Amino acid sequence: MKFMHDAVSILRKDILLEIRGKESLSLMLFLSLLFLVIFNFALDIDKENVSLLASGILWVIFSFTGILGMGRTSMSERDEEAYLSIVFSPVSAESFYAGKVLSNLLFLLLMEAFTLVFFAVLFDFEKIIGMLPQLLPVLLLGTLGFALVGTLFSFLATASRYGEVLLPFLYLPVVVPVILGGVSSMDIILNGKPGGPGRWLQIMAVFDMLYLSISLLLFRYIIED
Amino acid sequence: MKTNRIIIFLFLSLLILMPLDFFLIFRVAPTERVMGDVQRIFYLHISLAMAAFLSLTVVFISSIIFLWKKDLKWDTAASVSAEIGVLFATLVLITGSLWARPIWNVWWTWDPRLLTVLILWFIYIGYFLLRGGIADRFRKAQYSAVIGIIGYVDIPVVRYATKWWKSIHPLLTKQGGGLDPVMKKVMFFSMATFFVLTVFLFLFRFRLARMEERLLILKKRMED
Amino acid sequence: MNIIELRGVGKQYHSKTALSGIDMSIGEGDSVTVFGPNGAGKTTLLKIISGLMQATRGKTFYNNKVYSESDIKKEVFYLGHKTALYNALTVQENMNFICRLFSLDHRGKSIENALRDHGLWERRMDPVNELSQGMKKRLALAKGFITNPEVFILDEPFTGLDLGWRSSVLSKIKNIRKRGKSVVISTHLVEEGYALADRVAFLHKGKLLFIKKKEEAEIGEIYSLFDSLGENIR
Repeated sequence: MKFMHDAVSILRKDILLEIRGKESLSLMLFLSLLFLVIFNFALDIDKENVSLLASGILWVIFSFTGILGMGRTSMSERDEEAYLSIVFSPVSAESFYAGKVLSNLLFLLLMEAFTLVFFAVLFDFEKIIGMLPQLLPVLLLGTLGFALVGTLFSFLATASRYGEVLLPFLYLPVVVPVILGGVSSMDIILNGKPGGPGRWLQIMAVFDMLYLSISLLLFRYIIED
Repeated sequence: MKTNRIIIFLFLSLLILMPLDFFLIFRVAPTERVMGDVQRIFYLHISLAMAAFLSLTVVFISSIIFLWKKDLKWDTAASVSAEIGVLFATLVLITGSLWARPIWNVWWTWDPRLLTVLILWFIYIGYFLLRGGIADRFRKAQYSAVIGIIGYVDIPVVRYATKWWKSIHPLLTKQGGGLDPVMKKVMFFSMATFFVLTVFLFLFRFRLARMEERLLILKKRMED
Repeated sequence: MNIIELRGVGKQYHSKTALSGIDMSIGEGDSVTVFGPNGAGKTTLLKIISGLMQATRGKTFYNNKVYSESDIKKEVFYLGHKTALYNALTVQENMNFICRLFSLDHRGKSIENALRDHGLWERRMDPVNELSQGMKKRLALAKGFITNPEVFILDEPFTGLDLGWRSSVLSKIKNIRKRGKSVVISTHLVEEGYALADRVAFLHKGKLLFIKKKEEAEIGEIYSLFDSLGENIR
């Protein structure tokens, strides 16, 4: 109970911070739009190939844009060492982590929704919106995996001299199973490939549970000095 | 003193073991029927992979002990082991590539096992990038221990995911009967040799790193 | 009764001993000022006292028990060189957030009182990054008034402030003392530090040169110590 209350307090603060500072989500939205434009040049997307290319393009955008956004939310904690006000409070390191995961999850999902809509509009691919109910479990499990690892690593990387630049190097290799799962299962759903996305969803769920438990154990070590 | 003696002993035994291993691989082991001589690289490839995996296991365990005991010597153990692990992983990738060229007619193949090693390789490169970016010794140790743990538990998941994604690895068998008994013995010998090599490199490098640290402390004291 | 006690505490960085052999205790309502030149280890000492950093040697006790991080951090207010404020949020929002973290009522008068006390009530709707350095420091202190912890640990609370702000922050810290709270501050400002202290300590190269009651230490002694170390503090 207290755990959730504390996590939600941190989530609320991050939403407020986003409304006031517009540092993370708005940045992600612009970047994702920019990516869509660049992919259009790079891949020459048309009505024939859009369905085959969609899942690859989308998950590249999700992973790169997402890690940038998560880096920003961590920077806002590191600025002025603001996170110390949480450290010196009755809030446990675990609920601190949970709160940051929730806010990163929320911002990532909003970014993904935005990206999907713009993808549908720009490439005349309304079908993807219609298939949202089937895609939802993929998006949720994948994004949770991103948020779990990204929250831990972005907080860790922003303490280094290289700051956010270091983040993709640490983050992308570790989330490879999520990217693989996301791309493959979305591809299976969009193109009606045989087998169904079941096994991929399982892999992503295992990944999420594994990293949820490990990160809860490890987060306290990166908020100590 | 005692470690010194062990290091010297290991070094001397490697002087015998390494040439013997190569002799066994190139002269004693029978030529594989389908792949021919190229298959011999397999003995090195697998032994290197075993050595890399062993080193990264040491990183994982040392990282856990560091977070628990907060003694910097465990961090030194983890970081030198990661160095050795990255070195071996690089060699795994190179030998894998050399092997793939004549067998599959490509320099690189997205084989799940090779892919897992490549991703591991990236993770531990990140480990060193992070270490380079943090000046505070203790914080450096703490944070890289987190990476050392996270990276290691990723191995089985990556392995499984890539396997599900694609599998084209050849089975090195004669009509499904397993390895030829001589091949098996050579393989075992090669793995044992590389095990000794790993232990030697670890102890040697660990000792050097500890000495470097002590030297730095002494230097600082002189300046003060 | 001792709230915090350090026994033989030391901190070793990579190649540098930041602290060694520190014995000190902080009792209820006690006020300790740690003097020392730059690089003496003041920040490290305060971080260890606050539980933010772990010593590499020695033992730390909290309420006569071995430290449990989560216990101590609830009872400590720590103000480091940074203000621990969210720059993009307003004064009021920063305070509200603190109240939520401590499960305190943020609708009542307590925030208003704390802000009025610190001369920030008029600025409550402004984002923190529009405040002056002195105001930020006072806002940071105001957070401590709301959460009402047992121990205040303030690392160089006067740095970066001009004389006017300095005396206003000084009077705020005096208020904390009046409420019977323990205060540990580090500073190289002799006047201010001396005025606040029950006991004074002098840290040099990671070692405590002394820690004694104020009555036993002349202010001149501290000045001359600084002078002998070649620190220009006036």
